[in-house]
Amino acid sequence: MAKTDNGIRICQGLLILGNVVIGMCGIALTAECIFFVSDPHGLYPLLEATENDDIYAAAWIGIFVGFALLALSILGIVGVMKSNKTLLLVYIILMLITYAFEMASCITAATHRDFLTPNLFLKQMLERYLKSDADNNNDKWMTEGVTKTWNNLMLQNQCCGVHGPSDWQEYTSAFRVTHNDADYPWPRNCCVMDNRGEPINLDGCKLGVPGFYNSNGCYDAISGPLNRQAWGVAWFGFAILCWTFCVLLGTMFYWSRIAY
Amino acid sequence: MSRSHSHPVSHCSAADKLSYRPRLADLEGRVTGSTFVLEQPRCIFDKYNTAEIWLVVATRAGMGDFNDSAQPGMPEWSFQRFPANTSAYLTLGAMQYHYRCLEPNRELTVLRVGSETSCADNASVPNCNGPLPSPGPYWVKFLALNDSESIATTQWSGPITLRTARAIPSSPGTGSGRSGAMIAITAILSVLLAILLAAFLAMLCSSEACGVGSFRPDSASIHRYNTHHVYDQSAARL
Repeated sequence: MAKTDNGIRICQGLLILGNVVIGMCGIALTAECIFFVSDPHGLYPLLEATENDDIYAAAWIGIFVGFALLALSILGIVGVMKSNKTLLLVYIILMLITYAFEMASCITAATHRDFLTPNLFLKQMLERYLKSDADNNNDKWMTEGVTKTWNNLMLQNQCCGVHGPSDWQEYTSAFRVTHNDADYPWPRNCCVMDNRGEPINLDGCKLGVPGFYNSNGCYDAISGPLNRQAWGVAWFGFAILCWTFCVLLGTMFYWSRIAY
Repeated sequence: MSRSHSHPVSHCSAADKLSYRPRLADLEGRVTGSTFVLEQPRCIFDKYNTAEIWLVVATRAGMGDFNDSAQPGMPEWSFQRFPANTSAYLTLGAMQYHYRCLEPNRELTVLRVGSETSCADNASVPNCNGPLPSPGPYWVKFLALNDSESIATTQWSGPITLRTARAIPSSPGTGSGRSGAMIAITAILSVLLAILLAAFLAMLCSSEACGVGSFRPDSASIHRYNTHHVYDQSAARL
């Protein structure tokens, strides 16, 4: 009958459109997560040392989920066009599994982003930056990672400490054990450097004269990229899942209406 | 620096008592764990052209014990014995012309007390400007000496307390600080997944896969067709 024919055609059209959007979103999710995993700001060693690097795990899951969404959307389009019950059943089951994985990724990214407080980075910086003795190889690896990352951070962003140079004065630290307070009120990398990597005025830096030392804290330079990463994975994944929910419900309805 | 201490000089009555009170400079590093930064006493000692200006650093007891007839080379006022065996020491000696008056708009000039780490244990340098061993509080004043005779002295500064480092902060427990966004994401996604699973089960059960099955009127009945036209033909032949 013409009426149900039209209805079927509309249903098919909508499902195909839904799957096309899922496919494109899958590609976008993969690209976004590859960008995050490549760590353009070099902050991964900080998270690795806190043993709290699950937002990177969430990004890794996102890469594979993106590929899966692309492949399944193609399967879905083929299944809808052929009105094949078997293909569509496979599609629905695999989509549910992918849905569960992506849900895990979103929740992980959102939860672990809440752990990234200034105190976490402050504690880690004070305990590990330029620590001289290591308990074991793993400890040494983490210490080197933290030291290298903080040196890069302080040089590139012209900042010092988490809240400011006063962090080094207010708290005891592993740095203070090997560097006395009179010669190093704060680390050398907090000084403004010239092109050769030497402080332009070491005495000015030690005194705290404006212009010769970095007075800002580095917390914004750390939390900005990490927050963008966590929220990018979490919210984009959430949006994809909401759309996928609608498409899956439509596909299940279509499947139950197909007659053998 | 709110409290004023003016101890009358007990021995030398010839020393001028200037009203200048040393103060800390306004810099980030003005007070650290073992150093502090004073403003230079510019324009204060202009009258005393040939004098040597020394800085006296003292504990509270030292403010009373110190007398202005102290000589810079004397071991009883040396840095290495401070503060265990002596309550004050002399350091940062300079000729008066180093502290001559500058134009008013010139930059801040400062003195850093505690910056020389190399001579801190060297008893042959009694006027070492070494790092201060404890958080204090300390009081300072400037002393003008002319041929080992004190001719002028400033007031004692207010108490200068150095910074004490606190223990490393402990990070907050993992259960704290759940943001609203994370709760929303978790709740909404869980509900959506539950709805999807329920719809999936309903979909499977609406076909014959489930044990309950659904009853379609067509499938249960059996149709019989009487092919009466076959009977008629055979009856017609007989």
